[in-house]
Amino acid sequence: MPQPADLLQGTLDMLILKAVANEPQHGWAIAQRIQQVSDNVLQIGQGSLYPALHRLEYKGWIRAQWGSSENNRKARFYSLTAAGRRQLNAELENWSRLSGAVNLVLQEI
Amino acid sequence: MWSDRLSRMRFLFGGRSRAEVDEELEFHIDRQIDANVAAGMTEVEARRQAAIEFGGRERVREQCREQRPSWSLELLLRDLRFALRGLLRNPGLASAAVLTLAVAICANSTIFSLLSQALLRALPVDDPSRLVVLNFAGSHPGHRHSEGGSSEGHTYEFSYPMYRDLREKNLVLSGLVASAPVTAGVTWNNRSEAVSVEMVSGDYFQTLGVRPAVGRLFAASDETAPGANPVAVLNFDYWRTHLAEAPVVGKNLLINGTPFAIAGVAAPGFQSVVWGRMPQVYVPITMQRTVEPEWDYLNDRKSYWITIAGRLRPEVTLAQAAASLNTLFLSVRAAEFTALADQSAKTRQEFIDHAHLNVEAGARGFSPLRDDVQAPLIIIMGMVLMVVAIAIVNVASLLLVRAANRVREFSVRYALGATSGQIVRQLLCEGLLLGVLGAGLGLALAPATLSLLIGWMAQDSPNPQAFTAMLDWRVFAFTAVAVIVGSLVFSLAPAVQFWNPRLAEALKQQAGTAMGGSLRFRKTCVALQIGFSLLLIVGAGMFVCTIRNLRSVNPGFETEHLLSFELAPAMAGYPAAGVAPVEQHVLERLGALPGIRSVGATNDEDLSGNNRAGDVDVSGYKPKRDEEFDVELPWVSTGYLETLGIPLIAGRTFNASDTATSQKVSVVNESFAKHYFASPQAALGRHVGRSGNANRAALDTVIVGVVRDVKHTTVHDPANPTCYMLYLQMGKPIGLAYYVRTWQAPQSAENSIRAAVANIDSKLIVSDVKTMTQAIDDSITSQRTMALLAAIFGGIAALLAGIGLYGILAYSTAQRTREIGIRMALGAHRATVVGLILRETLILTGWAVAVTLPVALFAARAVRSELFGVSFVHPSVYVIGIVTIGLVAALAGFVPARRAASVDPARALRTE
Repeated sequence: MPQPADLLQGTLDMLILKAVANEPQHGWAIAQRIQQVSDNVLQIGQGSLYPALHRLEYKGWIRAQWGSSENNRKARFYSLTAAGRRQLNAELENWSRLSGAVNLVLQEI
Repeated sequence: MWSDRLSRMRFLFGGRSRAEVDEELEFHIDRQIDANVAAGMTEVEARRQAAIEFGGRERVREQCREQRPSWSLELLLRDLRFALRGLLRNPGLASAAVLTLAVAICANSTIFSLLSQALLRALPVDDPSRLVVLNFAGSHPGHRHSEGGSSEGHTYEFSYPMYRDLREKNLVLSGLVASAPVTAGVTWNNRSEAVSVEMVSGDYFQTLGVRPAVGRLFAASDETAPGANPVAVLNFDYWRTHLAEAPVVGKNLLINGTPFAIAGVAAPGFQSVVWGRMPQVYVPITMQRTVEPEWDYLNDRKSYWITIAGRLRPEVTLAQAAASLNTLFLSVRAAEFTALADQSAKTRQEFIDHAHLNVEAGARGFSPLRDDVQAPLIIIMGMVLMVVAIAIVNVASLLLVRAANRVREFSVRYALGATSGQIVRQLLCEGLLLGVLGAGLGLALAPATLSLLIGWMAQDSPNPQAFTAMLDWRVFAFTAVAVIVGSLVFSLAPAVQFWNPRLAEALKQQAGTAMGGSLRFRKTCVALQIGFSLLLIVGAGMFVCTIRNLRSVNPGFETEHLLSFELAPAMAGYPAAGVAPVEQHVLERLGALPGIRSVGATNDEDLSGNNRAGDVDVSGYKPKRDEEFDVELPWVSTGYLETLGIPLIAGRTFNASDTATSQKVSVVNESFAKHYFASPQAALGRHVGRSGNANRAALDTVIVGVVRDVKHTTVHDPANPTCYMLYLQMGKPIGLAYYVRTWQAPQSAENSIRAAVANIDSKLIVSDVKTMTQAIDDSITSQRTMALLAAIFGGIAALLAGIGLYGILAYSTAQRTREIGIRMALGAHRATVVGLILRETLILTGWAVAVTLPVALFAARAVRSELFGVSFVHPSVYVIGIVTIGLVAALAGFVPARRAASVDPARALRTE
C-alpha cells in the first residue's frame, strides 16, 4: 500500500465540497469516499475532517441536517448550498489552472 | 439565498451544541465499528481498532469548538473573566487602582468638557465652517464700546455705517451680519425686568441659517431706518421659562417702555453668533436708540460698537475673501479720513497706513469670554494632565507590585505550557479591565462634578448659562484615548519583566528576592510621583497665596456694610428729561430709610472689572508731544464719595449747592493731582474739560476737591488717575449703580430698598443687587476658580502619590524581609531598621525634589500673569510644598518600615 500523501493546504475544503456535491453525505461516508476514490492515497483523519466540516458549515457553504443513515441510525448529513456550489466551481477552476501550470513546468524543465 | 444568510446568522452567537458534536462523533465511531465487523473482525477487535483509528476525542471536540465564528469573542470573554477573578483576589489593590483612575478621569472629563465648550465647540448654525469673523488693525478715534476680546491690531468692533458699506459693496460674502449686546428693561404681563437684548441686522438669522420655532424671524425689511422697526424675536429658552410658551406672535412686549411686536421665537439651542452671549430678546439693530437711549450710534462713523461675521460665498476661499474685503475696507477708511477733525500726518498714518482688515475663520464664533477663560483653562488642563499622569504611574506601580507578588502563579502557568504571549494578553486584559472600570466610574461621577463646578463658577455671574453642564462626545473620545493609552502603559509595565526568554529558569531559582531590573523602574515611578505632586502642590500654593492676597487687598475704602444695585429709569420707559429727577428722588428716599447711613450713585461700578476712561484737557498743563494720557471719568452723585468713604485730602466734596445749572465741578484723586499739578493743593481751582469734543466748551469744569486714591477697576490693578464728575451736570440721561452704606448686614436692606423704589414707581427695575464683598469675589472669579481647583488637584496629587509610594515601599520592604532578618539577627535595633528604610525613601525623595524644582520654577514663571502679590520664586511656597511631599513620603515609608522591623528574625530567615 502506498504511503498516504499529505494534503495541500486548502485542498481538503475542496475535496469535501466535491464529495457532497451530488447528494447529502455524513462525515464517515465523506472520509470513506475520498479514501476509496483516491485509491487510499488520500486519507482524512477525524482530527481534520470534523473541524473542516464545521468550518464550512459556519461559512455557509454546506448545510447540515439530521437524517437516517444506511444502517438506520440517526446521522448528520451534509449537503452543498448555492454559495458552496459557487465556491466549489471557483476552487475547481483555480485548481485546474494551478495543476496545469505545475505540469507544464515539470514537462519543460 | 436568504436561508443561507439566516443559517449563518444563527452561528454568530454560539454554534453547534456540545451534545450535537458528541452525537456526530459517536455515529462516526459506530459506523467504523460496523465496517470493521463487516470486514471480518470480532466485535471487540472492531471496537478497539475503531477507537485507535479515531484518536483523542476531546481534541477533535476542542478543534470543532475553535471553528465557531464567535471563538475569538469567547476567548476574550474568558480572558476578561479570568482577569476579573484575578482582580477580585486582591480587592484592596484593585479598588485603589480603580479609584485612582476614576478620580483622574473624572477630573479629566469635567475640565475637558469646559475646555471644549470654551475653545472647541462650533456655533449651532448651518455650515459653520463657511463663517468668518472680521476685525481690524488701525486707530479708532471716537467712541468704542467693547465687550472685551479685542487686542492690539485686532479690534472686533465696527461702526454701523462701515458695516453697511462692507455688506453692500463686497463681492465675496453671501451674507454679512452685525450684532451688539445691551441690557434693556422688558415688560411682559406688567412684570418688568432687566434683560439681555441683542441688536441684530435684518439678515442675521437668515445668513446664519437659524429657523423659527414659532412665527417668523427677521428679514431685510426689518432693518430700514433708525427707530422704524419695533419688532422683536424671542430666544427659545426665554420664551419657555419666562413666557411659559404662550402664543406670543403679534402680541406686544414693552422694551424700555416702547411697544415691540413679537414676530416669532428662534429655534431652540441658538443663542448668538458671539459665543458666550446669552440674549433673551433680539431686536433689529436700527432700534438701537430705543433699547440704548443714552447713545446714538447708528449714523456715527466714529462709534465702534458692533461685531460682524459673514458667510463666504461658495467657491470663495478665506484668503480671497480677506484680500477682497481688505481692499474695500481701506477704500472706505480713506473716505472716512477726510471727515476727521484731525488731518495730521500722524493721524493719517495710524488711520489709513496701519489699517488692515483681518478675516478669521469663524466656525466657533468670536468670543470675548473665550480669551478671558483660555489662559486659566489651559493652566487647569495642565494640572489635570499631571493628575492623570500621576494616576497612570500610580496604577502602573500598583500593578507592578501585584505582578511581582504573583511570580509563583506565573511560574506555574509557564510550567503548564502558557506562552509569553498569553501571559502578556492576560496582563493587558487586567489593565484594560481596570481602565474601563475606572473610566466608567469616572464618567458616572463626571456629570455631578461638572454641574457642581459650573454652579460654582457661575455664581452671581452676569450670564450663568455661558457654560452648560453637558458632557459632549469629545469628552468620551478624549477619555477613551486617555484610558487606552494609560491602561496599555500600566499593564505593559509588569509585562516587560516577564517578556524574558530566560524567565522560566529565573523563576526556578528565584523565590523571594527582588528582581534587579525592576528596581530602577520602581524608583522611577516613585520619583515621577513625587515630582508631579510637588509641581501641583507648588502650583496650589501659588494660587492660594494669590487668592488670599486678592481678598485682603485694601481698596482704600471700607468694603463691609456696602450694598449695590442697578437702576436705569430708561428701562421703565422714562423719557430723557424724566431720568435725572427720578434718580434724585430715589437717592433722597433711600437716604431717609432707617438702617441706612448714606447712599450714592455712579455710572461706573467699583471693582467690577469695568471702567470708563478718556483723555481730558487741563488748564495750566502743557501736554508733552504726542502724549496720550487716559484718566478714569466716573460720573457720580452727591454723597457717592462719602458713602464709599473715600477720604478727602483738600478742598471739598460735591454738595447740595452743586446743581444741574450751577458751575460745573469735579473732584480728582491724588494720582491725578500729582500727574498734572505736582501737589493736591495746586489742583484746587484749576479747570478741566473733555478734549476734542466740539459740542462742549473746553475747560468748563472747576476742580473743587482732591481725594485719596482708591482701587477702582479691580482689586489687583493699581489706582488710576481719576476725575469724578457730577452726573447731574453732564446733561445725559443715564442709568446708575447705587451704593448704600448700612448699619447692619447689608443684605437686610434689600427688601426695604426694593419697597422704597416700588413706592416711587412700580415700573422701575432694581437689578443686580449684591454686597461689595460679593462684587469683589465676582471680579476675581477666575483666580478663585484657579485657587480652588489647584488646591483640589494638589490634594489629590498628594493623596495619589501617598498611595503609590505606600504600594511600592510596602512591596520592596517585604522583599527585603530576609535581609532585615539577618541585620536584626546580627544585632540591629528596630529603630535602626526603620531609620534605614526611611533614609532610603527620603534620599529618593530628595533626588526627585532636586530634579523637579527647576521644572516647578519654570512652570510657575509660565503662569505668573495669573498670580498676584506672590513672586514665582516665593520661597515659602516651595518650602511648604517640599515639606508636604516629604511628610507624605515619610509616612508612606514609615508604615511598611515598621512592619518589616517587627518581623521575628528567626522566622524571616526560615521563610526563604
